[in-house]
Amino acid sequence: MSRVKKNVLEWSVFAVGVVVVAGTLAFLVWDLARAGSSPPDLTVELGEARRQTSGWAVPVTVRNRGDETAEGVHVEVVLETAAGGEERAELEIAFVPRGSHRKGWVTFTQAPAAGRLTGRVSGYEEP
Amino acid sequence: MKGGSHPDAGKRSLRQSLEEYARGVAGGLLFSLPLIYTMEVWWAGFMAGPPRLLAYFAIGFLLLFGYNRYSGLHEDASWLEVAFEAVEEMGLGLLLAAGTLWLLGRLEAGQPAGEMIGKVVVEGVTAAIGVSVGSAPLGGNGNGGKGKGHGGGMKGSRSVSEAGQIVLAVCGAVLFASNVAPTEEIVVIAVESPRWKILALALLSLALGALILFYSDFRGAKSATPDEHRGPGKIFSRMVINYAVALVASAFILWFFGRFDGTSAAVCLAQVVVLGVAGSLGASVGRLLLQ
Repeated sequence: MSRVKKNVLEWSVFAVGVVVVAGTLAFLVWDLARAGSSPPDLTVELGEARRQTSGWAVPVTVRNRGDETAEGVHVEVVLETAAGGEERAELEIAFVPRGSHRKGWVTFTQAPAAGRLTGRVSGYEEP
Repeated sequence: MKGGSHPDAGKRSLRQSLEEYARGVAGGLLFSLPLIYTMEVWWAGFMAGPPRLLAYFAIGFLLLFGYNRYSGLHEDASWLEVAFEAVEEMGLGLLLAAGTLWLLGRLEAGQPAGEMIGKVVVEGVTAAIGVSVGSAPLGGNGNGGKGKGHGGGMKGSRSVSEAGQIVLAVCGAVLFASNVAPTEEIVVIAVESPRWKILALALLSLALGALILFYSDFRGAKSATPDEHRGPGKIFSRMVINYAVALVASAFILWFFGRFDGTSAAVCLAQVVVLGVAGSLGASVGRLLLQ
């Protein structure tokens, strides 16, 4: 250590550096240890419909519980109305990374409350 | 960061080190901003996965290490000192990247830690090399304890060993190539260009290396290869080594950004050659300017 000469400021920047670097490294190693290699595992959750100036909007949350990222995720939401009709809405999400979720909205002209809503992921790419 | 380049230099004043950090921050942003403003790089943060991120981090560290060791501004610095500097610069680089990404709305509460750390690592490694480069030759010469190695770094009368020059070439190649590597354009050019144009790009890269190293009179060009060492053999070997460094650095970066996944060997090679133009520029300029 005899040849390392630093002033107070340099020592404190060095200390911050050690914390940041060690923290990052520790996280990456921990992440490596626990990461599997399961393909994307996507689920769709639908929220409460909201009245808009024109029609209704339904919030969509797509969650990826797999260990790999899904790209170009297509979500299809179907509204089956009480009268027996069907209205479809679609949404595309660019990326849903592993262990992450992304939010979007789908819109309908008829009130979703009066019918039954189902959402599913219709397809995605491997990046 | 580059303190105590002389055994008897002692500590530097707070003002001097503040100035050096200012240069480091400027250099870090200068070299990493193109990457920070690129979507593909944010995506790489969450697509790369821990093994690749760790490899990238490790290589980044090695480059910092090599750069600090061979940048010639403190040839007499101990390995411990060099390691301390590398840690400092990596920390600063990561913090710079994190701060800028946050300002740009790329780090939001609710994102999983893996995604955020991934982005920060991908951007931070380049920022760290920028910090290292910035705190040295872009600015100070003299009082800051830099450039007073052997007869002044700016004049370049001191020469760096061949191995050192190759390390600097790698740093330059990575610094330049990584700024264009993540973009879609590399793949598009590689796929759409006819073969003879890919070959032409390779020849251009080789020629650029020779041009910059021997015929440009860039700062340091004379000292890196004094006139008596400028035979055709030397020029040829430098040219080839330079391009080899560029190709290897380009290949590593492309691999990191997932450009080789499920891609045929011919397209991979074409991509390496396309990126190699940037790598070759970086390698030859790095050899001279990063000293």
